[in-house]
Amino acid sequence: MADVEMKQTKETTDTREEDELKDESKKAPPSPTSEIKSNIALIERAVSTLEPRFTLRVLRSLNTLRKKLDDQVLQDAIEDVYPSDSPIKNDLLTWLPPTLGGDHSMDIDVASASKPSTSEPVPEAGVYLRLLLIHHLTSSPATQKKAIELSLDTIEEIQTLNRRSMDPIAAKVWYAVERAYELGAELADARPLFLAAQRTASLRHDDETQASLINRLLRSYLHYNLYDQADKLVSKTTFPTSAGNPQYARYHYFLGRIKAVQLNYSAAHTNLQQAIRRAPPATLAPGFYQAVHKLSVVVELLMGDIPDRSLFRHPVLEKALGGYFEIVKAVRAGSLSQFQSALSKHASQFETDKTYTLIVRLRQNVIKTGIRRLSLSYSRISLRDICVKLHLDTEEDAEYIVGKAIRDGVIEGRIVHEKGWLECAGQKSGYGPEVSDVFSRRIAYCLELHNQSVKAMRYPLNAHRKELAAAEGAREREKELAKEIQEGGDLDDDEPGLGDGF
Amino acid sequence: MATDLGSLYRELKGLFGSPHADLKKMGVVLGKLKIGLVTSGLLVPQGDVNFQDLAVARDILEIGAFWSIRTRDVPSFDRYFSQLQTFYNDYSSFLPPSPREYPLRGLNLIRLLTQNRIADFHTTLESLPLPADSLASNPFISHPINLERWLMEGSYSKVWNARLEAPAEEYKFFVDSLMGTIRNEIASCLEAAYDSLPTKDFTTLIFFETEREAVAYAQHRKWEVDLINKKISFAKKGEEKLEIPKEKLIAANLAYARELEQIV
Repeated sequence: MADVEMKQTKETTDTREEDELKDESKKAPPSPTSEIKSNIALIERAVSTLEPRFTLRVLRSLNTLRKKLDDQVLQDAIEDVYPSDSPIKNDLLTWLPPTLGGDHSMDIDVASASKPSTSEPVPEAGVYLRLLLIHHLTSSPATQKKAIELSLDTIEEIQTLNRRSMDPIAAKVWYAVERAYELGAELADARPLFLAAQRTASLRHDDETQASLINRLLRSYLHYNLYDQADKLVSKTTFPTSAGNPQYARYHYFLGRIKAVQLNYSAAHTNLQQAIRRAPPATLAPGFYQAVHKLSVVVELLMGDIPDRSLFRHPVLEKALGGYFEIVKAVRAGSLSQFQSALSKHASQFETDKTYTLIVRLRQNVIKTGIRRLSLSYSRISLRDICVKLHLDTEEDAEYIVGKAIRDGVIEGRIVHEKGWLECAGQKSGYGPEVSDVFSRRIAYCLELHNQSVKAMRYPLNAHRKELAAAEGAREREKELAKEIQEGGDLDDDEPGLGDGF
Repeated sequence: MATDLGSLYRELKGLFGSPHADLKKMGVVLGKLKIGLVTSGLLVPQGDVNFQDLAVARDILEIGAFWSIRTRDVPSFDRYFSQLQTFYNDYSSFLPPSPREYPLRGLNLIRLLTQNRIADFHTTLESLPLPADSLASNPFISHPINLERWLMEGSYSKVWNARLEAPAEEYKFFVDSLMGTIRNEIASCLEAAYDSLPTKDFTTLIFFETEREAVAYAQHRKWEVDLINKKISFAKKGEEKLEIPKEKLIAANLAYARELEQIV
């Protein structure tokens, strides 16, 4: 369901293309109005049977449906769902421009033959309609103010109703609220609202809303570069484990960002890997996929690894990672000049991606790689040559830098100060306690993966009945077999001569 | 704002502006002013407040921060700076920008650097309200950034040379502790990278004025100092003995066996 949102949060431009594709592939789609109506029926079913599954199904179609909304569709839907004199209906209709009033009766006849229902639908349906309304209002700049008003109103309504069956929809409403505020360029103003709601949600164990809100808050903090606050929020809250994959993917992405800024690269890398794994397929949410990979490439470089070449050939990533590819090449070659030119060439791109400061930190990695390459190819090299080859400013600098590299374990060797050269020691042997450590870490990972997948297995209800019957049969046969053996055994026993004494 | 607060503020300003400020007196005035700020609800501004008053409050806190640096009281600087955060971050759109904001932010960065809090340094850097590629053009910010970069890549001589190019007088107060940090860094590098060094070269490498100081430092770190040949040898860390971690291996193997048992 939330793959859908991801497109919206990230680069919307990238998504337009395949949205069109999706629309084309759907042959003879049902009219939006009837779709809304069937969705509302599903929501009612979800509420009456206490099965959130149905609600989730409704929300999954939210994004495609959102594209087809217009004033008319919404008006028809509202008119159809509510009885004619319902106060909620009139309330909802006030959010739509009244100009269409004249011809809507005719439209109803065309769109649907059914009469407006006579009974009041569940409140969840009302909130669902409001959600659609907010999305519709945010889509055009003229009505954005109204969208914020409506979202505030909706939140109040949700909180007064306080129904657990509302939670999945409420989580979506919060997303819509953020969107409304962001388009109104007042993202910071929504923060107190989110914080208060987050407290309530965690008190009510409303996991879905909580997950959604934590991500909203983190996003808002990171948008304003408030890494300190974001970090505190993460340490003070626990992300609900039952949250959906898309929420988890986002959460991991934000965590990765925070950790990377704090120089905790290996943790950042783990988080970003998780984000990539949990993210929806690249073609569905390319924006998110690209954003995560941009950050993950930089973090990998900062850790001293070189990302796979194939990553940069990925159809979705190839163009987006262009600038990063040049940086990777520079780091790989250990060439400071190449690095500087790539950095200045793509500075504005890195700036918008918010990776600029991280990339600037790579400078030392470039130097380290350079020294490492030199130490591998020479058994003895003068500091002056190092200085020239790595474009360092003075020999003195080179001496300190090499010294630090030796201390940090980047290279093995000794500096002979009197002669002014570096003597490189041979490579360390590849075997030792570290190897077994790495090995056991990998094994532990594989075992963990296996255990997790066993835990994650789901069995459909009552499906084991059949197997039980089969097992019953097998047991029956076994019994027979045992009986036969027993009888056979009896025969054996009859044989004399092989008694105890033997 | 109360009138006595106003007169105190003027007094503080006068004190701060004079070249040989009486630090003790400033401390007294600052203490009184802070009490005044608390009673008028300006220290931690909330709700609707007069922006002119806020600007004055910010001024007082800024002077307080500079005063702490001059009295070499780093924890006090820390307190003043965190109080200023509200003014710099939340009220930035209402108040006229302060000319002292960036010097103070820079000082805070250097403080983090001298305390070796690199992670905090970067977090603070990210939260600066400046676009990342214009950081280098702000002299107050670019100074700590360069220092950090040089420290990280190991260009210690550049750090040493930059100590006198501080963009503001107060930056020099951190030089001493920064030098201490650098010396320790260099010493650990030297230990690893050299077998032995002539005392003279050692003195220049570790930025001491006289050999005597250098020798004292070397003895402090428990290196062998050969005074006759004028040489310092670094204690060799004995070749690490290759020992098989038996217990660990056994425990690991048993764990694998148990897990495999569960799978098969």
